[in-house]
Amino acid sequence: MRRPTRLVSLSLLLGLLGLALAAPGAGAISLAPESPHSPNAEDLRSAYDATLLVVSLLAIAINVALILAVVRFRAARDTVPAPVRSGGRVQLRVGMLLGAIALAIFVFGLVVAVKARDLEASGPEGLEASSMRFAQLGLKPPEGGEEPLAITVSGQQWLWRYEYPDGTFSYHDLVVPVDTTVVLRIVSTDVAHRWWVPALGGKFDAVPGRANTTWFKADEEGEYLGQSAQFSGPAYPTMRARVVVLSATEYEAWLDEQQTGIQEAQEAVQEEIEAGTQESAEPEAEQPGDAFEEGTDEPSGGGGKEPQTEDVGPDAPAAAPGGGDVE
Amino acid sequence: MSAPPPTVAPARPEIVTDAMPRRRPAWIENATSGDHKVVGLMFIATSLTFLVLALTEFVLMRVQLIVPESTIIDPIIFDRLLSTYGATAAVFFGIPFGLGLACYVAPLQVGARGLAFPRLASFAYWLYLFGGIALYASYLYNPPDAGVNPLPPLSDDVFSPFAGTDAWIVGVGLALLGFVLLAINLIVTIRNHRAPGMVWRRVPLFTWSAVVTSYVVVFTGAVMLAALAMLLIDRNYEGVFYDAGEGGSPILWQHLSWMFFNGAYVAMLLPGFGAISEIVATLSRKPQFAHRAMAGSFVAIGALGVLAWMQNMFTAPIPLGWSIVGMAMALALVVPFGLVFFNWIATLWGGALHLRAPLLFALGAISTTAIGLAGEVAHSVIPVAWQTSGTVATSMDTHYALIGGSVFGGFAALYYWYPKMTGRVMGEGMAKISFWLLLIGVHLTFAPMFFAALEGQVVDLGEYYEGTGLDGYNLVSTIGSFVLAAGVLTTLINAVYSVRHGIRAGHDPWAADTLEWFTLSPPPPHNFDAIPDVRSSEPLRDIRDGVRRRTEGWRPPRPLERPAAAHAPASEEASSSEESHPSGSGGSVA
Repeated sequence: MRRPTRLVSLSLLLGLLGLALAAPGAGAISLAPESPHSPNAEDLRSAYDATLLVVSLLAIAINVALILAVVRFRAARDTVPAPVRSGGRVQLRVGMLLGAIALAIFVFGLVVAVKARDLEASGPEGLEASSMRFAQLGLKPPEGGEEPLAITVSGQQWLWRYEYPDGTFSYHDLVVPVDTTVVLRIVSTDVAHRWWVPALGGKFDAVPGRANTTWFKADEEGEYLGQSAQFSGPAYPTMRARVVVLSATEYEAWLDEQQTGIQEAQEAVQEEIEAGTQESAEPEAEQPGDAFEEGTDEPSGGGGKEPQTEDVGPDAPAAAPGGGDVE
Repeated sequence: MSAPPPTVAPARPEIVTDAMPRRRPAWIENATSGDHKVVGLMFIATSLTFLVLALTEFVLMRVQLIVPESTIIDPIIFDRLLSTYGATAAVFFGIPFGLGLACYVAPLQVGARGLAFPRLASFAYWLYLFGGIALYASYLYNPPDAGVNPLPPLSDDVFSPFAGTDAWIVGVGLALLGFVLLAINLIVTIRNHRAPGMVWRRVPLFTWSAVVTSYVVVFTGAVMLAALAMLLIDRNYEGVFYDAGEGGSPILWQHLSWMFFNGAYVAMLLPGFGAISEIVATLSRKPQFAHRAMAGSFVAIGALGVLAWMQNMFTAPIPLGWSIVGMAMALALVVPFGLVFFNWIATLWGGALHLRAPLLFALGAISTTAIGLAGEVAHSVIPVAWQTSGTVATSMDTHYALIGGSVFGGFAALYYWYPKMTGRVMGEGMAKISFWLLLIGVHLTFAPMFFAALEGQVVDLGEYYEGTGLDGYNLVSTIGSFVLAAGVLTTLINAVYSVRHGIRAGHDPWAADTLEWFTLSPPPPHNFDAIPDVRSSEPLRDIRDGVRRRTEGWRPPRPLERPAAAHAPASEEASSSEESHPSGSGGSVA
């Protein structure tokens, strides 16, 4: 009487589980995140694969043992089991086995974490030496390689702003050359954010008052999508990022173009200020940012902060001296 | 004891009937009671109400995520739901449910007549209730919207100018103050009011878990209270504790709050673990496998669980060395958690499993927490966390573990001790329905989140975009959340219904071995008429054996064997064997 109902409910459960896993686009299921396109992302991927295997085995082992115990020892009435207690020896053995597993995971995690933080030199197709120093960033420089390209990523409600070594800046889209080591200095100008582009390495928080660093070396031209992973207010879902990887020459062309665009906009702003019509200046100043933002609609009712309009104004004049330093 | 001598000496014994205290209405009796059973029940009932609220918020958020780019719920309202959901699930359901169970059961299990500080317990309850009211009253004006863990600067007065965040701080703070007081109360009670002979190694595992939980709550609750006070000062009195621009540090809040949330995690798991240990042993008709190792594991889980707070901060701008410390602590937890799972299964193995509702829920708890905690192991490996932290995979594992510990484990405890609380058993049919709904619901809701995380879905998201491959997973998850809610509600309805309509249970329906089953169901205000001597970790088994030995053909004692038996130490091993002691003082079993 009981067994059939149990079988039915069990198969129902398994069926539903299967449905849960199979429903979203048959064949699209994968057990791994987006494939890596940077050496450190590859390190993270290997750590992920190994750890997934170990923890899956742990979870499966416990569940299988549990189901076996239930199936085998379901009480027939009046069975009186032998009172088994455990001596310390069994506990010690099991504890040592678990400790060994934990230690292995720890050492492995440590090695991979340290390795993923070490910069790798730019490749042959990469950009020539950039002029940016990065010793203060707290990352170990590559041995004998070119100095990497250092870009400041600044999180703001609710977009990312990128500042390039020559003082150029952009919003939403981070444009970088392929095969070049790029060091990101991650900061925030308002609340905490979390930088994450899965194909190009791990997440790092943008916290006001303290800079965070990471790096990547994109191995292929293309676009890589990312998303802030730290709740930051009502428009947090729109806080996406895109990394556009270009060839070294295309990158330099883009930088020039961007710089001219910014300069033109700044001149326009300057003219308007001089003409005394400051009210209309700020929307004008938005233009360079707008040119590179795409599909990200600024949410309405965002609760009082307008980083876009506020930031371009003050920052735009500041960008020019920054660029001058490099020259 | 040290009452001052009476100023007017009683002249003669007399019975003054008109001086009997007038019977007050039941609600006043309950509201002013210092009885640990009444306070415990009020904690349990209130926390289950908050569970319904948390569930409602969760389902509403899932409804918003049912399709991509949905506009069912306004982003601002979503943030409010999110912010109250986190506090409700952890602070107003998880911790008080565990502490309430502990408050009810632990004094009974150790043979105490009441709490050490009865009025403090009542005060703790009212702090908790008014904390919850303070939080939810904000729905009348401006609910909090700074997220599950309101990190400054988002939660400071610049970015959250409205009073909702203050309501969050005050509500959580009041409740935490209550929990800290109750936890101190429980620690003192369990330390000082144990029955004669109940040394620590004989203390039942649920009480062990209650003690460890209490210490964790005292420590991390105090830390969070300090953090909340600083945030309140920052917001209202121009403090700069978390203001990076003025020399403060937002990272400070991260350290303090994660210490608390890690403590809350432990406090939601451990009472469930203690209950599961009791249930697994009782309903498989076997003694607990490795009682001492289990108690030790609980202690280790409590200590390491709190020390591992930096496992949440691998992405924060802190030196890698600190992350490594966090990883070491978090991975060290593999040992005690693993031992707990191993010992549960070893207890079940070879037993005679009576698959009644408590055991069913306990099995569900073991299964789901195993999945959740295995996931947590993965997220405590730094390079893995750099990819998975902040994605819905972490929220999936947290929910697997905490629904396992607090809902499955907590419900197992509820089903198990309900006969003690009310004198009636909860309906088995509804229990089975609830169990299967919960099990299916948990997997349906949270398993797809693992795959969604691999597609890049991050936590706390009120909206996701078309073409990101997340549609199917979220649809299934939303359907699952309804199943989950149905499962929870079935048990709650069962609990309410059974108060009047349940089958009468008798005093010891499960044939359990711990002292709470020695008294009536529900127990009288003073708990025990006579408190028995305790000679093992299973005092009731000893009493039963003693009764059996006396009733099944009483023999005159053999004087020659006495001295030999007296040499044997009164250890656990000896106690359950043949005749190392002739029946405790348990002749008075009802």
